[in-house]
Amino acid sequence: MAAEEGNGRALLAVEDVVKRYGGIRAVDGAGFSVAAGSVTALIGPNGAGKTTLFNVVTGFAPADGGSVRFDGEEVARRPAYAIARRGMVRTFQLTRALAAMPVLDNMMLAAPEQPGERLRNVLLRPGAVRAREREVREGALELLEVFGLREKADDYAGTLSGGQRKLLELARALMARPRMLLLDEPMAGINPTLGRRLLDHIQRLRREEGMTFLFVEHDMEVVMNHSDRVIVMAEGRVIAVGEPHEVRSDQAVVDAYLGSPA
Amino acid sequence: MTELPLAVSFEAFTDVGFWSGVLVTAGIYAVVTLGLQLNVGYTGIVNFGQAGFMAVGGYTMAILVLEAGLSFWLAMPLAVLVTMAFGVLIGLPSLRLRADYFAIVTLAMAEVVRLTAQNAQGLTGGNKGLYCNFEGVNQTCFDEAWKSVADPFLDWVQGFWPDADPLLPLLLVVWATVAIGIVALNYIQRTPWGRVLRAIREDEDAARALGKNTLLYKLQSLAISALLGALSGFFLALFLTTIQPDDYEPIVTFYAFGVLVLGGLASYGGVAVGAVILWTLLEGMRFVELPITEERTAALRFALVGLVLILLMAFRPQGLFGKKEEMVLGR
Repeated sequence: MAAEEGNGRALLAVEDVVKRYGGIRAVDGAGFSVAAGSVTALIGPNGAGKTTLFNVVTGFAPADGGSVRFDGEEVARRPAYAIARRGMVRTFQLTRALAAMPVLDNMMLAAPEQPGERLRNVLLRPGAVRAREREVREGALELLEVFGLREKADDYAGTLSGGQRKLLELARALMARPRMLLLDEPMAGINPTLGRRLLDHIQRLRREEGMTFLFVEHDMEVVMNHSDRVIVMAEGRVIAVGEPHEVRSDQAVVDAYLGSPA
Repeated sequence: MTELPLAVSFEAFTDVGFWSGVLVTAGIYAVVTLGLQLNVGYTGIVNFGQAGFMAVGGYTMAILVLEAGLSFWLAMPLAVLVTMAFGVLIGLPSLRLRADYFAIVTLAMAEVVRLTAQNAQGLTGGNKGLYCNFEGVNQTCFDEAWKSVADPFLDWVQGFWPDADPLLPLLLVVWATVAIGIVALNYIQRTPWGRVLRAIREDEDAARALGKNTLLYKLQSLAISALLGALSGFFLALFLTTIQPDDYEPIVTFYAFGVLVLGGLASYGGVAVGAVILWTLLEGMRFVELPITEERTAALRFALVGLVLILLMAFRPQGLFGKKEEMVLGR
């Protein structure tokens, strides 16, 4: 399943990133790159710094050192919203469904280029705002259909099950028209059926739209079967990078994380 | 000792003067609380500084009229702009903080404003406050321009309704402002802009992750709230015909929060209803005669309002017009 993507252009290049919390170096000189159009898994034991690295890369925690280049542009110290607008969108380990907003509003919120998000346009260009809103609404309903959430469109997002929230968060991130998606434990806490659906979506988006994925995951079966490359972190550093079968047999990885081969 | 231990005079409740006072006060509080609703109910930023914005608006207007000699009609929009700029200035550093720290900063801001007004006597008249300037035989007051419009209008109304209360012109202007405010805020709340605000209320990080510059939206929310604070400050000044530091104590902000909680979060219409109920209760209690001293009766008014709020929290925590789902799901 995993295709050779080695010759793909690096869409995301991380070098020597350091993030300290007090005296703790949560990320301690980590570096890796993610090829455009690839599905890359980021694994490592708890506390390896995976989520912190996600936070640094997406602008949620400013880096104390190092460089993060997205599509050739340095984004290491740019604000989170600006990075998201550049096309690198993330989801969270604990889902961030906007609970007291309807599912449809969750989706429509994420759409880019809505002039109505500026107060000036709300007052001066109500026609353009309404026109864009109609487009966005249609796109949102289509995506909800794809993700099997269409009939939930008018329900509060807070009434969805854990798995449905994961799907909503992915669908919502897609509304932002990202070029790259960073998923923090997308499979955690969702049942196998929904999980398979989520993985199918990821593969389809990669295939059909050339979207790039980087995801943190603990389920080794998912990592081995659904990623082109695997990045292994331990104690704030990247200790191995390679195709799933290479990483599986890497002694350092086995020592740090995988334990005895299954 | 007394034959009647408890007596309520209901005459007050049929008195035009009583209701005029209650409604003007309620309207002034409705205007300032609409700003709180935008901040607390729709953006999730807890602003404890509304009294400060009222003071900045009121004082700026009066100083521009009395010291700079500007027309009242020009001074008002200028004072609104000053207050909004002040709100942005306060928000820029503090809106990056967590919600509870921001709340403390705004409370402190309002007190700094009040204490400055108390002490900058050359500009604000200190505790005496501002009303009129006397230069020889010439006297200028900040509300002259207002009176020159309001008084002829009142005369005209009294031509066919002799009992019309002198507060009627102010009452109409205040409630027209409340109505326009409710309509305008409901409109912008239903736009994509309003949707971003609600997203920030629900989860600011999620909004940032979707490309929203959340600081900008919170600043706009605060600036609009400051605008409403300034308007309400003008009305309070016209109502009291003076501007004094004591009129802007933190209790003003807390009354506004009382109005907010009564009306319910995330409902602009609820603000208007909450304001009328709270002030009817507060003022109506003046007419309850109890066999205790007047100061104690006065204290009892607050106890009653407290009791109403406690009962509300126990039986209808979302307030009169708030949505229960949003309250339960939001947490």
